[in-house]
Amino acid sequence: MIATTDSQRRWRRIFLIVGAIVAAYALLAPLTSMDAAQSANVPLLADKFWFRIATYMVMFIVMATAWNIIGGITGYAAFGNVAFFGIGAYTTGMLVAKAKWPFLVALPFAPVVAAVFAALVGLPLLRLRGHYFAVASLGVGVAVGELVQNIDYGGQPVFGGASGLFLPIYAVNNRGLFFFYLMAAAAAISIAVTWWVLRSRFGYGLIAIRENEEAAAVLGVNTTAYKVAAFALSAALTGLAGGIFSQWNVFINQENAFPIEYNVQMILMALLGGTGTVFGPAAGAVLLQLLIQFLGGSLPISIDLPFVSTDAQPIVAQVILGLLLVVVVIFMPRGVIDFFGGRTRLSLSYLRRSLRETSL
Amino acid sequence: MKMRNIALIAVVAAALAACGGASSGSTGSTITLGAPLGLTGSLAKESLLTQQGYNLWQDWINSEGGIVVNGVKHPVKIKYYDDTSNANQSAVLMQKLITGDKANFLLGPYGSAATATDAAIAEQNEIPMVEANGAAQSIFNQGYKYTFGVLSPANKYLQGVIDMAAALNPKPKTIAMLSADDNFSLEVAEGVNTYATTKGMNVVLYKKYKNGTTNLSAEVQAAKAANADIVLNSGHLQEAIAINKAAKEQKVNAKIFAYSVGPSTPDFITALGKDADYVYGGSQWTPQVKYTPAFYLSVAEYVTAYKAKYPGLGDPDYHVAESTAACLALQRAIENAGSLDPKKVRDALAALDVTVFFGQVKFDSRGINIYKPMVVEQIQKGVHHTVFPADVADAQPMYPTPSWDQR
Amino acid sequence: MADFVQLVILGLLAGGVYVAVGIGFGLVWGVLNIVNLAHGALVIVGGYLTWQLFTALGLDPFLTLPINALALFALGYALQRGVINRIIRAPLLFTFLLTFGLNLVIVNILLLIFGSDFRSVTPSYSGAGLELGDVVIPYVRLTSLGAAILLAAGLAFVLNRTRIGLAIQAIAADRDAAQLVGIDLRHAYAVTYGLGAACAGVAGGLIAMIQAITPTAGEPYTLQAFVVVILGGLGRVSATVVGGLAFGLVEAFGQSIPGSGSVFANAIAFGLMVLVLVTRPQGLMGRLH
Repeated sequence: MIATTDSQRRWRRIFLIVGAIVAAYALLAPLTSMDAAQSANVPLLADKFWFRIATYMVMFIVMATAWNIIGGITGYAAFGNVAFFGIGAYTTGMLVAKAKWPFLVALPFAPVVAAVFAALVGLPLLRLRGHYFAVASLGVGVAVGELVQNIDYGGQPVFGGASGLFLPIYAVNNRGLFFFYLMAAAAAISIAVTWWVLRSRFGYGLIAIRENEEAAAVLGVNTTAYKVAAFALSAALTGLAGGIFSQWNVFINQENAFPIEYNVQMILMALLGGTGTVFGPAAGAVLLQLLIQFLGGSLPISIDLPFVSTDAQPIVAQVILGLLLVVVVIFMPRGVIDFFGGRTRLSLSYLRRSLRETSL
Repeated sequence: MKMRNIALIAVVAAALAACGGASSGSTGSTITLGAPLGLTGSLAKESLLTQQGYNLWQDWINSEGGIVVNGVKHPVKIKYYDDTSNANQSAVLMQKLITGDKANFLLGPYGSAATATDAAIAEQNEIPMVEANGAAQSIFNQGYKYTFGVLSPANKYLQGVIDMAAALNPKPKTIAMLSADDNFSLEVAEGVNTYATTKGMNVVLYKKYKNGTTNLSAEVQAAKAANADIVLNSGHLQEAIAINKAAKEQKVNAKIFAYSVGPSTPDFITALGKDADYVYGGSQWTPQVKYTPAFYLSVAEYVTAYKAKYPGLGDPDYHVAESTAACLALQRAIENAGSLDPKKVRDALAALDVTVFFGQVKFDSRGINIYKPMVVEQIQKGVHHTVFPADVADAQPMYPTPSWDQR
Repeated sequence: MADFVQLVILGLLAGGVYVAVGIGFGLVWGVLNIVNLAHGALVIVGGYLTWQLFTALGLDPFLTLPINALALFALGYALQRGVINRIIRAPLLFTFLLTFGLNLVIVNILLLIFGSDFRSVTPSYSGAGLELGDVVIPYVRLTSLGAAILLAAGLAFVLNRTRIGLAIQAIAADRDAAQLVGIDLRHAYAVTYGLGAACAGVAGGLIAMIQAITPTAGEPYTLQAFVVVILGGLGRVSATVVGGLAFGLVEAFGQSIPGSGSVFANAIAFGLMVLVLVTRPQGLMGRLH
């Protein structure tokens, strides 16, 4: 444990309080949408739109946290984790749409199939290091999406093909609430798993692999087993998010179940928040999603960029997003969790220092 | 006391007179229509055309005072959001338009993928969505009740070309069908495969390629080897341009080159120059069609209005026209329903049967417009002409296409 | 038989473009350790530059290529010196994120300037070709292949025979040692990225002749650059040339699989890349790092 000063402890406490308030709000506001609450005239804090955005945010929390296990803790930067999301989505999707299984029975198969796939693919892949592993996982990610969309059997697409899979709209009373809590449960599981990993022997082994793989092997860590396990764990959690997504979204195809941008986004979120920590990826996920939605004009508060014509607004918003990304990456490469963890304070000298550390 | 009574009566009478005067031709609440579009990202161009179509109608309806509901005119405001060409984001924005912006009704996005996702949202919220840019039938096979498509479904896109070819002399016999592997393109291709034999033609080659491929030399080579009379492509603008370029380079000479999407957009001609000549396209609408509209502008007036609002872009292509048609369908349904209640308007849409400049707008039980025919256009000397069906054609097809060496 | 030959030729010709796209990407990756996600965007900038010069001044597109190279070299130099250098010592992933942000900025600025219309460069001689019996060799593609080979040769020349080129190679071998012998890292890095961007610009000019471009048309090329560089092997220009040509052939033959087999062309290319990585990570021609 690093010795902490009073101010650092104060910041940590502030972070914990803010985080707790946000989490409490996120978990309790949906209850205002229930019929019982509405008939008691409780103000509606969570409408369908709130649920849609919030569920997306929580979905990204799952994916970023899951990626963190293989990318942040183990140090193997996988570029293709969206493959597991898609595999999870299609597993549940196929079971529900084609085999007509009930959704909640089909859902547990999503993480299982994703994990098995990751273990099979990980055995050869995890022998690669650094760039090579990253690119190989990207290749797998792209290839899997293509195969799932296009595989035919006897002239008919096996997985729904290009027209995708339509699932029946889930019959439950308050769909928004149900799926939000389900996804939130998945997020809670991911964070809990990360917390457990970081405190277990398994986690120490992973960190050892990240810091110096040869030394870890010499010290008796079964690096292959550990790496594959981390990869499979990461895949399972991502696949769970995918499984929930398929029923929530009602429609899946290659484009929305294997979106290449998600690869980038989940890594971005983990990095922005701070890899290797328990809550970092979650914080990064929320922040980045808020930023994207804000710039896209879909939040209740939006700005009208001055001097920009209405037609150009969305384009300029994207430019701003890109610039912000550049600035944040340059000035805060360790992620924002540093501030909230209380280890450092956001000040000009910190910015200048981190700039000096990473620039040429 | 009598004075006060008289004064009271006078005041009440005056108040009543004032109320009475205001109620004839009064303005009602603004109707908000929601439209998420891919204004940035890979669908930017097509989404822009969709937006132009929506805006043309918005200007017109507001200049008329608004949509008339039971004698009250309601001005219209279309609220746009950019979904960055991402179908999931489109769903998020659709939900925002419904719950946040309180949109009364919804206009569709561009593209079958986004339309499919948005249709589910419309269904779950029970708000009618009228769309003009998602032609894949799979959307309409889900039993959704709240989504209506004014455009002809995908499988019809190239059937007009086959009809036209069947009447030509010498009649072409063989078809090489190249298709992108996305949902919409595959439906177009399947439509050709099933229809061709009924007209006495054979599909000798059916080749699918990855959606978005820019290098199609191998596919074109296969078409060359198949030596087909007709070369068809089902895909998008980029692919149509690539195939045409490759056909010239590799000296593929067919009697007919027809592409499902591409030839109708002005970009096709500017990108290819003279090489765009003789190419046919299946089109939802061309400026040469001769429909008599029940309301709104005639075909000629529409073209003029487009050129006035968007000068320098040439004639409106069918993406613009079909988007305007979606708005017209919604407008007429609201007027017929005499109400802004979503369920009543939905029922009015289901029962709608009206002809506008775009053609007949009527929905089958699934919600798609199978009643409007597709037309075939051909680029002749750098200008679009409608060549089929004969009653709307303004030129004869220039058939057969001369070989590349002879041009 | 003629069909097979034609396919090989088409594959090699397409490979020319992939070579041009790949060498810039591979240089930046191999020397600077940067996975440049903005590479495709830079390619498209080159495409628009060629298109603009072609339509406004009537310049033959092949003549615009040197202009592209210079303009994009300047842009790349400025980007590296001003922006990317600030993050260079951070782990790999940060440059990844940075270039992702840059990509977003460049693509959308292009969208603001040029709109979303599809543009293509169709010179008067496009479509004409050499005919040897049943086999056709289109002139534009042949010259593009030639331009790409020239570009690769030029890059190899710069790297092997100029002072700055040798400095770059020294940095690739051992950054700290290079600094110790007095090489100005900031300048050398910027030149490297500039060279990568210049190659991208030339590739863009070639692409504008072969297809239609729009601001977002560069994304697939970034992905393909990955495959090309891996297939050939990081480290030498000649390796990437082999990778590019190989990729062109794989694509041509993958796409000629009858029926719906050709939709798997992408999956095949990426699968092949993964296979190469797992079995022979140095690529067809590279040296093991």
